Amino acid sequence: MSGLPVADRAAVRRATRELIVRDRNAVAAVLTLHTAATVAGLAPPWLLGAVIDRVGAGAGVDAVDRLALAIVGAVLAQALLSRYAQYAGHRFGERAVARLREDFVDRTLNLPVSVVERAGAGDLATRSSVDVSTVGLTVRDVVPTMVIASVQLALLFGAIFLLHPVLGLAALAGLPTIALVTRWYLRRASPAYLAEGAAAAELTETLTSTAEGARTVEAFRLADERIRHGTARIARVWAARRATLTLRTGFFSVVEASYPLPIAAVLLAGGVLLARGQVTLGAVVAAALYLQQAIDPLDRILQWTEQAQRGLASFARVLGVGQVPPERAGRAAVPTDERLVVRGARFSYGDGPDVLHGIDLEVRPGERLAVVGPSGAGKSTLARLLAGIDAPRHGVVSIGGCPVTDLDPAERRRRIALVTQEHHVFIGSLRDNLAFAAPDATDDRMRAALATVGADWYATLPDGLDTLLGDGARQLAAAEAQQLALARLVLADPHTLILDEATAALDPTTARRTERALAALLTGRTVIAIAHRLNTAHDADRVAVLSDGRITEIGSHDELVRAGGAYAALWRSWHH
Amino acid sequence: MRYLWWLTRCQPGRVLRGSLLGTAWMVGLSARPYLISRAVDDGLRTGDTRALALWVAAIVAAGVGLAYLGTMRHRTMTFIREDAKARSAAVVLRQLSRLGAALPRRTATGEVATVGGTDVDRTGQVLTVTGPGVGAVVAYLVVAVLLWSISPLLALCVLVGVPAVGLVVVPLLRRLERAESVYRQQQGELTARSGDIVAGLRVLAGVGGRALFARRYAARSRDLLAEGYRVGAVNSWIDAATVALPGLFLAAVVWLAARMAATGEITVGELVGVYGYTATLVVPVWFLLEGGHQVIRGRVAARRIIALLDARPDGVGGPPDPPRDRATDASAVPDARRPEAAGRPTATPDLTADLYDPASGLTVPTGRLTAVAAADPADATALADRLGRYVVSDVTWGGVPLTRIGLDEVRARILVADHDAYLFGGTLRELLRGGRPGSDDARIVAALHAASAGDVLDSLPDGLDTRLDSRARSLSGGQRQRIRLARALLADPEVLILVDPASAVDAHTEARIAERLRAGRAGRTTLVLTTSPLLLGHADTVAHLRAGRVVSAGAHVDLLDTDPAYRSLVARDDAEQVLR
Repeated sequence: MSGLPVADRAAVRRATRELIVRDRNAVAAVLTLHTAATVAGLAPPWLLGAVIDRVGAGAGVDAVDRLALAIVGAVLAQALLSRYAQYAGHRFGERAVARLREDFVDRTLNLPVSVVERAGAGDLATRSSVDVSTVGLTVRDVVPTMVIASVQLALLFGAIFLLHPVLGLAALAGLPTIALVTRWYLRRASPAYLAEGAAAAELTETLTSTAEGARTVEAFRLADERIRHGTARIARVWAARRATLTLRTGFFSVVEASYPLPIAAVLLAGGVLLARGQVTLGAVVAAALYLQQAIDPLDRILQWTEQAQRGLASFARVLGVGQVPPERAGRAAVPTDERLVVRGARFSYGDGPDVLHGIDLEVRPGERLAVVGPSGAGKSTLARLLAGIDAPRHGVVSIGGCPVTDLDPAERRRRIALVTQEHHVFIGSLRDNLAFAAPDATDDRMRAALATVGADWYATLPDGLDTLLGDGARQLAAAEAQQLALARLVLADPHTLILDEATAALDPTTARRTERALAALLTGRTVIAIAHRLNTAHDADRVAVLSDGRITEIGSHDELVRAGGAYAALWRSWHH
Repeated sequence: MRYLWWLTRCQPGRVLRGSLLGTAWMVGLSARPYLISRAVDDGLRTGDTRALALWVAAIVAAGVGLAYLGTMRHRTMTFIREDAKARSAAVVLRQLSRLGAALPRRTATGEVATVGGTDVDRTGQVLTVTGPGVGAVVAYLVVAVLLWSISPLLALCVLVGVPAVGLVVVPLLRRLERAESVYRQQQGELTARSGDIVAGLRVLAGVGGRALFARRYAARSRDLLAEGYRVGAVNSWIDAATVALPGLFLAAVVWLAARMAATGEITVGELVGVYGYTATLVVPVWFLLEGGHQVIRGRVAARRIIALLDARPDGVGGPPDPPRDRATDASAVPDARRPEAAGRPTATPDLTADLYDPASGLTVPTGRLTAVAAADPADATALADRLGRYVVSDVTWGGVPLTRIGLDEVRARILVADHDAYLFGGTLRELLRGGRPGSDDARIVAALHAASAGDVLDSLPDGLDTRLDSRARSLSGGQRQRIRLARALLADPEVLILVDPASAVDAHTEARIAERLRAGRAGRTTLVLTTSPLLLGHADTVAHLRAGRVVSAGAHVDLLDTDPAYRSLVARDDAEQVLR
């Protein structure tokens, strides 16, 4: 199983730059507004310093009143400027996130199925949920916070430098220790927090599955086992939380102990400068207050760095999806007819051993072929080759003279459809769930399609085609979902159908009902049915018995029974 | 509230330490402005280098001390919260495990995820008030005293003003949360949609329609963008207000204090001190307001936890079960189920007793392989529920009503193996053994062989040690079904009731399962509910169930000849013409 790629640093940097450049006016506006707002925010301590100087110089109440009014003005200006700065930043963030998630879904939809399957659907699912949200959170909340805090810090320290360069230098006293401990912390934080999250998710999973499997817990008397299992999970959460706590203990104690250092340094340096008459008392007080003010943005930056780091990691994984080459567009070859031919096809998954050893097969248009054989004989693999999802390692699978994998994917799907026992009901209305198979289908055609596959439950739906399906809405039973899948096929109207155990996951009675519905769908089409119920084989034009990746018997049902081979034996045991 | 109190009472030492540290830390916060103001007044203004050095040293020492207090406070509070969460999780877990089949399937699972995740967290979070909450009150009083010593008028302004500003700002922040919650919900839906697309990728690959889904997603994404703009417009105003209001209040205080300094009522150092205290007071006031909110939310969460803990298994008749200790028992460490109380009025049928179900007229003879072919699958599941006593019924076992036998004993001796029985995550060994220590690997492999699941074992990279996620999603439907069967065979109950055990496997495998089931359960009581001719052919007797009653019984071959309805039910050859 080879995972999906992850973008390297250069690609992440490139993508980040692109996000900024695409919206550079907005970014410039955000930075300007934030700078202006922060400057306004610097005024009150400076004005307080001025108050102190004036009062020290014996100024009257009038001067104090004027300065105090100026403070009020500065506060209002800061509030207004930061409002617009924040709004502009928010809009930029929203746009960037929207672009990212839409790109991601576009790329996901263009992934070749074989790549997704090999990587494991879980990987892609995690990227679509966890990573896209993490990047979203980072772009929308973390980056703005970091940008604002950085601007504030830069201006605060700049202001202290302006008051007096020596005071400025003194103000940097706490930074080295903070930088060192941050480095130490960041190296360890992400894996520790991820482990904590994973442990918590496992505990929730344990609780949920205990609830879901409640009847099984009782039947197999698993209560003690579940409690033991869950208690171990709780212990693991505790351990993971302890680990992150230890990290925080080291980090925050050093950081917080570093905060008074610059204040102390500024006061001492201020004392010396004051004695030489190089600064005013007000300037020293203002510098000390600026430093007190700097604690807040510094705290915010430190708190969010870990999240920002994680955001970058997620970003790399999101971008990685775009690095998979999209499904081959094909050479726009046009098949001359609908004849499916397999010649010498061999196939292996990855570097594994061959699961198909030279298959030769010809299916005439309109023929019904049943493929039977024990589990693991390669039936499903053959179905995938016929549907063009995988290409044979050796040999060729062609339709009307063109290799199926050379067809344009959309064209191929129009001609050949693969139906498996896996079915998926998309979130959305019933109409949404049908329309994608044939975008120009009318409501009447959809209703007719449902009727064709025997989906009589349609009549009980409160809102007809507008009824919402899927998670949190009306849940379809397995049989209903399978019928929905078949109705899509009626609409898609392919000439060749490959049914891979399409009804195997259903209980026998429902399977029978669904099979009856299928019969309506199959008239006039080429059908290749991979089956484990032998009646399917009995009714087919020809039966192919697949065993260990080879076709061992092929012919009509009667011929095979007469031949007295493996199929005949099985038929007798089944049929009595 | 009693539950919250219980969580607190479980860790008295820790809570006391948390309160002390929280108090010391909060009070310590006001030390820095005090020390700075002294350094300005005694050192800088007078040019006294020694005094300046002293006060600066005090600032550094206080900073280090504060960092220590802060860290220890955080550690203690984290332990208190985590202890509470772990305790809540443990009682919830114990309750879930005990409720068993009584836990209504649908409603519970979503609810359980909320209770086990959010509610447990929120309840733990409430305990924060025990530390910083207590500290905040004390810190507020200390600052009050300090301010009072400077100027009673200023003190009054600040002590009333800061909470007043807080009372205005906090509701604004709540509004911000609410505005965000709509956005978050939409965002969640959008995430669900992209997950939905990922999950359905194979369907889209099979039938097409990718472009349509891309367009539909983009449209939704644009809606969220518009909502995001709207939220941003409101939120940025609220944010600005939360900056401006405290700022304006601080300006007013400085104004008042500066005028007093100008008229000589207070010193310049005290002016700086007032500025500092006012800024410092924000922290305890904030904690108090936030704490109040947490308590409100935590009570709601605790109530939901209690509701789950109060749920009782529903009665399926029979003698009372052994008394269950209250879930909120102080010892949250799970212990094994109590042994059955002695001398209870239970009847114990001996090993040769037959099961009899009056509702359908079915008798399940001891030591034989019986099969039931039900025309309606609902009848089959109802029958299994009655025989396994998942519902109250008139079923008797060796003449004794099943409801007169202890439920624990019924569960131990009769196993109903549903076709959709849950597969828990873990290694394959754990999954199959289900906590029964007696089963060694040889028996497990034998059970897998009997269920014709040897190839499943061979296909797993680490054999019995391979980890499977819950529901064994990585396996195919047929593989899962055989794993379920192996688990049931390994449990080796006196009476095994199998519901549709081979519906998802191919005919070859089904034939093998039928043979091995017969051999594996030789001499044991086994009931198979199925319509598969392969399984029915291996049964000692077959009962044909129609409209809930046994309409005919006998050997499979005989029934095929004598009961045409049976024949059309099970012999699938002439029933359906699938490909023609």
